[in-house]
Amino acid sequence: MLLLQLLTGLSRAAELFLVAAGLSLVFGAMRIVNIAHGSFYMVGAFIAVTIAGTIGGSLGFIAAVIAVPLIVGAVAAVTEYVALRPLYGKEHLLQLLATFALMSIFHDVVRFTWGERPHRLRAPEILSGPVEWSGFFFPRYDIFLIGAAVVLAFGLWALLAKTGLGRDIRAAVSEPQMLQLVGVNVPRLFTVVFALGAALAAMGGLVSSPRGTVLLGMDVEIIIQAFAVVIIGGLGSLRGTAVGALLVGVVFAMSILWVPKAAMAMVFLIMVAVLLWRPEGLFGIPER
Amino acid sequence: MSRVMSSAQKDRLFTPARIGWSLLLLVALLAPLVVGERQLFLLMTVMTLAVFATSYNIILGYTGLVSFAHGAFYGVGAYSTTLVWLHLGWSPLLGFALAPFVSGAVAYISGLVAFRAVRLYFALLTLGIGQLIYIIVFQWRSVTHGDDGIHGMDLPTLLMPATNRYYFLLGATVLALVLMAISMRSPLGATLQAIRENPDRVGFLGVKVKRYSLAAFTLGGAFAGYAGAMFALMNRGSFPLLMHWTTSAEPIFVSLIGGLNSFAGPLVGAIVLGLLRDYITRHFLYWSAVLGVVLLVIILRMPGGIVEASQNLSGWVRRRSEGNGNGSRSEEAGNGQAGNGQERDDQ
Repeated sequence: MLLLQLLTGLSRAAELFLVAAGLSLVFGAMRIVNIAHGSFYMVGAFIAVTIAGTIGGSLGFIAAVIAVPLIVGAVAAVTEYVALRPLYGKEHLLQLLATFALMSIFHDVVRFTWGERPHRLRAPEILSGPVEWSGFFFPRYDIFLIGAAVVLAFGLWALLAKTGLGRDIRAAVSEPQMLQLVGVNVPRLFTVVFALGAALAAMGGLVSSPRGTVLLGMDVEIIIQAFAVVIIGGLGSLRGTAVGALLVGVVFAMSILWVPKAAMAMVFLIMVAVLLWRPEGLFGIPER
Repeated sequence: MSRVMSSAQKDRLFTPARIGWSLLLLVALLAPLVVGERQLFLLMTVMTLAVFATSYNIILGYTGLVSFAHGAFYGVGAYSTTLVWLHLGWSPLLGFALAPFVSGAVAYISGLVAFRAVRLYFALLTLGIGQLIYIIVFQWRSVTHGDDGIHGMDLPTLLMPATNRYYFLLGATVLALVLMAISMRSPLGATLQAIRENPDRVGFLGVKVKRYSLAAFTLGGAFAGYAGAMFALMNRGSFPLLMHWTTSAEPIFVSLIGGLNSFAGPLVGAIVLGLLRDYITRHFLYWSAVLGVVLLVIILRMPGGIVEASQNLSGWVRRRSEGNGNGSRSEEAGNGQAGNGQERDDQ
């Protein structure tokens, strides 16, 4: 029972990591607190429902996995170009408010396109059902989720540590002005980072859908938890995001067993406690 | 600083600002003679929003802090009013009087925690604290009735007719705005503005920056609770969505529309946003998108807000009309923004 709940917690952590990693990446490189990040999560889930529904079967799910990040990434790139690019160099508050306005716009775009009815996304055959291990039955999909998050985490790490794009992103985190001076097209880099972050959120929305319903309002729900994760871990730190996601996911799943009503409150209590101890989060850089 | 009027202006009886305030009050006083009950409730919503946003302006506009706990303090005020009625059988008016003190106390304690961090991390810490308060209210069903909320609060018979309630809330609004205006014109207000401009320098002068910031946070929280109590009286109830983190974004948008750098900004913004939102929600099925686009356009095209835009305009007109007169008059004419800019240049 406890073991099963731990697994549930870990798979919850996997979902949270995907969403929060994008949020943290965008903040780290662009210094934008992107409230519309939850919208990309929601849009990703809804597009996945449509694609999987149209094609059907396991093939539909696989097609969604490939297409959703690309579509949402493209939408995000356009959004960034239109709504955020004119605000670089202005007050952070304006950027934050702009993403808030974007959240209301995306909310209605989804309401217009998919309606207010809840939708379902079915996991493919191979990933559903339980797995037996020494007398215990574990949901196969949870194990898939954890695996997928670990793979993506390593992919992200490799992208940041080993590629030219990753080098530029890391430079943007620490020295944005210098980066411009050495001839990197910073605005274009920001568009790429923003699209990448949104694609991660959309991926998170897709993979978490089979475990629940795809519903209008899931954007506001997830963004607040994703914030808790990146705040605990430290804004802009990939390692911190992973630790934060594990902490939030597991604590949430465990407290559901003992104090179901206070589970969500526990998450925010941890967040406040961590910030009191280390105001910049576990792995964050202190505010300059 | 910028908001301290020059002596010449103080002596003049009819400044544009005074004429504006008086006209606004006159319109508000006469409104029930002309409009129906639905519009009266709309106006009450606008007044509540105005007090809420002005209380936030103490924190954001004057002290320069972004807080996401403000919606929670607003909700605490509303619940203070309804809970003393529900559980203790007290008059909601007593709850109304109590609300700012309860919210102020909650804000003070939250502030003690949140001011461990600075700037962005401060804002995020307030987000966590506000959400914690929201969850407590949401989950504590036996006391707060959870997400059902509390409805049908009994008001004194005098306040039951919409018109009477309207005048009561108008009086409450004027009282709150006057109290906040007085406190922001006091040395406290001047100190807060100095902290906004340069906390380090103010600290060098021996001023306890954190203590003053906490005072602003508490004062703003108390008046947010006052606005929440106004909401509870108007709707005869309270519900947890009031204190959701998205509520905290509302006064930020109101300040943005009206303008951050003046006392009147949030009031103007509340009138504009309140009426605009009412119009959009009634005429558009997809009102959230329309509102989002309108706000986005304001952010991209008019980041200083309406008050700043009009001040720039009136300053420009006056400078034109006084043409070659001596320089000192035209300098004070462009009071708000121009003065502000000059002081910043000096630093």
